[in-house]
Amino acid sequence: MIKILIVDDEKPICDLIDLNLSAAGYHCESVQNGLDAIDKIEQGEYDLILLDIMLPGADGYDIMEYIRPLQIPVIFITAKHEVKDRVKGLKLGADDYLIKPFDIVELIARVEAVLRRYHKTEQQLSALDVIVDVEAHRVTKAGLPVELTNKEFGLLVLFMQNKNVALFRETLYEKVREGEYFADSRTLDLHVQRLRRKLGWEHSLVAVYKVGYRLEVPQ
Amino acid sequence: MKFSMKLLLWTMIIIAIAFGFSGFYFVNYVFETSLKREVDQALDESSILRFALETAALNIPAKYDVLPDHTVEQIASNLESGGHDEGRLLRLSGESRETLYASEGFEADAGLLFQTDESKRAYRVLHIGEKYYIQTAVTVNALDRVLYLETLKDVSAVFQERSLGFSVYRRVTILVLLLGTVIMHVISSWLTKPIRILTRATRRMAAGEYGYRARQVSQDELGQLTGAFNRMANALEENIRKLEEEIRDREEFVGAFAHELKTPLTAIIGYADMLRSRKLDEEKSFLAAQYIYTEGKRLEAMSFRLLDLIVTRHGQVEFQKTQAEQLFTYLNGMFRTKSGEQFDLVFDYEAGSIWAEANLIKTVMINLIDNACKASQPGGRIEISGRRVSGGYSFSVRDYGEGIPKEEQDKIMKAFYMVDKSRSRSRNGAGLGLALCTEILLLHNSKLTVESTLGEGTCMSFVLPEDVGEGENA
Repeated sequence: MIKILIVDDEKPICDLIDLNLSAAGYHCESVQNGLDAIDKIEQGEYDLILLDIMLPGADGYDIMEYIRPLQIPVIFITAKHEVKDRVKGLKLGADDYLIKPFDIVELIARVEAVLRRYHKTEQQLSALDVIVDVEAHRVTKAGLPVELTNKEFGLLVLFMQNKNVALFRETLYEKVREGEYFADSRTLDLHVQRLRRKLGWEHSLVAVYKVGYRLEVPQ
Repeated sequence: MKFSMKLLLWTMIIIAIAFGFSGFYFVNYVFETSLKREVDQALDESSILRFALETAALNIPAKYDVLPDHTVEQIASNLESGGHDEGRLLRLSGESRETLYASEGFEADAGLLFQTDESKRAYRVLHIGEKYYIQTAVTVNALDRVLYLETLKDVSAVFQERSLGFSVYRRVTILVLLLGTVIMHVISSWLTKPIRILTRATRRMAAGEYGYRARQVSQDELGQLTGAFNRMANALEENIRKLEEEIRDREEFVGAFAHELKTPLTAIIGYADMLRSRKLDEEKSFLAAQYIYTEGKRLEAMSFRLLDLIVTRHGQVEFQKTQAEQLFTYLNGMFRTKSGEQFDLVFDYEAGSIWAEANLIKTVMINLIDNACKASQPGGRIEISGRRVSGGYSFSVRDYGEGIPKEEQDKIMKAFYMVDKSRSRSRNGAGLGLALCTEILLLHNSKLTVESTLGEGTCMSFVLPEDVGEGENA
């Protein structure tokens, strides 16, 4: 199981990230103090660290110095939005940079992306009897390959990363649109319907009234 | 054209004109005087010759009634050679102005003869060939004949002297101009040195080097200008520094404000998003709702504090005479019920009246006591005291809590600064309390004094002017 350390001086933010990442299937731990964070990093082995910059004890840049030799990927999560702060963070060796306030969906996507880059993610996502190999771009249902378009594949990955979460139309729409400016929101419904048909998910991929769609998987 | 060049050029022009005129005038004056002397001499000589001629004519044997022409020639020849030198030139003419005798080389025309008569001697300056002469003419009565005697005197030397004088003067003038140019060049560049230094200073300052100052090299008007310029530059630099400081403070404020705003916003947005998009169990739903509530409360507290700060900065304040005891009684009542059980609050004050806006001073004291509570362990002792001091009334709040590290003491007045964030947050602190206190005390021309030792406690105090009655008219 992938272990993630969350370092933020605000308990509410730690809990927020913890709850969401845990739901996405990660094991999370959180600390609110820079010095505690360094202790934790030295003791435990983590696959990813989410790091705030302004911290009591030791700030995020200082903690970076401890992390670098350990080769653990880091995503900065901070309210500092200026370009020079972002550049400084990335130059210190951070893998990504997320600015508060952030969307949970975006956080999860970035965590996935960084883990994938380090080949730490489970290469395969699975839900019900469908298995998705993200790297190979291959989808199988009950062992039989399913042909999907790029847009359908993108939607499927998003659903599988957010099982049992209602995804908003605007979030999904981003995936479908991919640079096409004149696609209307009916395009989204069209793609979701095709996905349902190809995977036989008529009852799993449910429409949520006034929100969007949700992939329901028995927990 | 450079100022030093202008100075040089004009000086040289004036020197040249002055030398030219004075030289011309002087040489000419000398010439005129010499010429006049020569003329006088020539006329004298002419008179002497006339006298000699007349005497000679009288001495002619009386056998002639009329002076014969050859006798006249004889006399004239005698006169010509009888002078003190051999260079005398003369001409004798008869009644009808026909030449009777002329020395060799006497080449002047007879024009002068018509200007003379018995009573009048005539003369003129002649230029013949390379030479200058003074020609004189007189009428001579010899026996019964009227004769005209003309003389010619060589005065070339006088004219030569004049042209020599001019050429000497020209050479002197050129020499003086050359020397003057060198000397004036040195002088003008020395005089204009402060200007050049100032120009360099303005250029460097314009290029952004605000710390550069012009060197003062003299005490004259230009030196004073340099001094004034440097004072202006100092004032400017000071202003720029203040502005930069203000901008930095403002940027820090905005940065801190954004940070303080983003954290609760992130939590509120995140938890609300969770609530709307997930099926959460009861425990998690409650946790999310709880966080939304507390973070919302935190935003509320911060916005109110910020509003207080803005109102205090721009608001009109009405000062009035206030009894210090009333303030302490109010604070005592307020904190006894609020935190009297948690902390050991000790009030100790003297009677006295202050000139202040009572509500604002209450706000300051509430903030200070709140801070003291936050810094203290439960049950800790907090001393709130009021003392009359010379010229005012001193308020102080002392706690025996954790204290403030030395390096943080000057930062605590800044908005959003918190020594211990997590502790302060847990008590709904926004980091604006002391910033507000500082603003309020600024309105009262007072400031907060902080004495603190890490681990031993903190004493915050300020002094307000005592009401001495003059406030009535203010």
